[in-house]
Amino acid sequence: MSRCYLAWAKDERIREKGADGGFVTATLVSALETGFIDAALVVEKKSVYEGIPVLTSNPEVVKECAGSLHAAPINLTKYVVEYAAEKRIGLPTKPCDARGIIEQAKRRQVNLDNIFMIGLNCGGTLHPLRMREMAADLYGLDPDSVVKEEIKEGKIFLESKEAGGKEKEAGIKIDELEQKGYGRRDACKSCVTKIPTSSDLACGNWGVPKGEEKKTFVEVLTAKGEAILKNAIDSGYVCIEEAPGEGIEMRKKIDAGMRKLAESWKERMDAVNALSRSERFDFYVNALKNCIHCGACKDVCPVCACEKDAKCLDMNDERDSYAISMYNVLRIFHLMDSCIHCGQCEDVCPVDIPLTLIQRRFSERMQRHLGYTPGMSVDEKPPLYETELRWSAESMVK
Amino acid sequence: MVKRLAEEKWEPKILAFCCNWCSYAGADAAGMERRQLPPAIRVIRVMCSGRIDPAFVLMGLLEGADAVLVTGCHIGDCHYVNANNKTRNRYEFLKEFVDELGLEPDRLWLRWISASEGALFADMVREVTEKIKKIGPSPLRRDWKK
Repeated sequence: MSRCYLAWAKDERIREKGADGGFVTATLVSALETGFIDAALVVEKKSVYEGIPVLTSNPEVVKECAGSLHAAPINLTKYVVEYAAEKRIGLPTKPCDARGIIEQAKRRQVNLDNIFMIGLNCGGTLHPLRMREMAADLYGLDPDSVVKEEIKEGKIFLESKEAGGKEKEAGIKIDELEQKGYGRRDACKSCVTKIPTSSDLACGNWGVPKGEEKKTFVEVLTAKGEAILKNAIDSGYVCIEEAPGEGIEMRKKIDAGMRKLAESWKERMDAVNALSRSERFDFYVNALKNCIHCGACKDVCPVCACEKDAKCLDMNDERDSYAISMYNVLRIFHLMDSCIHCGQCEDVCPVDIPLTLIQRRFSERMQRHLGYTPGMSVDEKPPLYETELRWSAESMVK
Repeated sequence: MVKRLAEEKWEPKILAFCCNWCSYAGADAAGMERRQLPPAIRVIRVMCSGRIDPAFVLMGLLEGADAVLVTGCHIGDCHYVNANNKTRNRYEFLKEFVDELGLEPDRLWLRWISASEGALFADMVREVTEKIKKIGPSPLRRDWKK
């Protein structure tokens, strides 16, 4: 099914406003105008640090939302489940959005036939608070004056408008930022799914040849992806051409490079790896003892489908004097096979528990043991719900 | 004088989940055959090992059990068609969880014991108790400090 194209929006305004040729915006606009989808779920830019998910059937709103937003790490999965489960919708998806939606589909929360996922290649997002600190400490800018951010050729560019009307632009290498402890979120630094292979289309600027900027590299991954692309071409919103061979190679190389970097980050950030068994126990107990059981991590979790009748909430009692609360134990346990390592839980945690690391430690070893990657195909049932084991019985207990 | 718990000599507390049809009957058989069992074990009867939610095992550990035994019918002998296959599946998750959390893997046991295997049940309890005495109290236990 996989076929690669270079695509761009015919409308000059969309093409100019979009990050790389406005293909994603043009596809969503065309699908809305031709009635191919009922609504689009897009992220409206409030400022450099803030984006708000908007469910709309107005193409003008979609056009306004063109362009990338790196410092608003939203996961759209729960918004789809809550507000658009009955609708036929299209939405741009980062790899973790797409994987989350697939996991929800496995749990029968959404009907995948009605969801058109236009995947975006993702090198990572930044936490808005870290971004503000970064602007102040390293770029020497007033965080509130920053009007535009852009990631280009491994550098983060910030553009600011000072009160006097002066314009300033500065770029610093991402590697350099991350050495100093700024830069992308921990989950993004160690994420190994950079191309959203579980969505319908995978779009991005990786693999677009030099001199042909303002084009998007599009990979068609499913029949649904083909349908929405065909709709966009037929209605005259999008132009495509066959992707050159070297472009495909280049994209593969960038992907492999990013993944290798992620693997090395994973090792560098894993503070638990060097600890002994009892030190590891103390680490988990100390990290989780601050939990106030607000339930925010459960609410945003793109995998969890338990809503209010969750076992982790039901079996937790504030009066218990356990070393680790039942809430945390059960949440970690239930995500061992299904955690997609999106890091949303750590973003929303009011007491800053290093949940990215903890969930990764537990789930990664289980997923390796199972030979299972969550969020990739809707046909694979979560192994915890499986009756039979996925591995041979010989390797097991007597 | 009230004696503080911490001053008492530590004796292991072992929690055993037994399925009604096989391992509970097996434990019964052990008694009928007058086999000696260490007094560390506390048995909870469930209708099937498939009823043992991993949350029960985890809660047992959090409550301070030094070891948790999960027992059921042999694979293929389940009274409820294939529910002990589910137990086996969930046990894999529990094993990884307990190991990663920093507890010793010996704090978690899975054994298939049929209704006639009283000797096996007694041997298992002796074996577990010995191992637990060697590795000491669970760090999750709050009434005993090293």
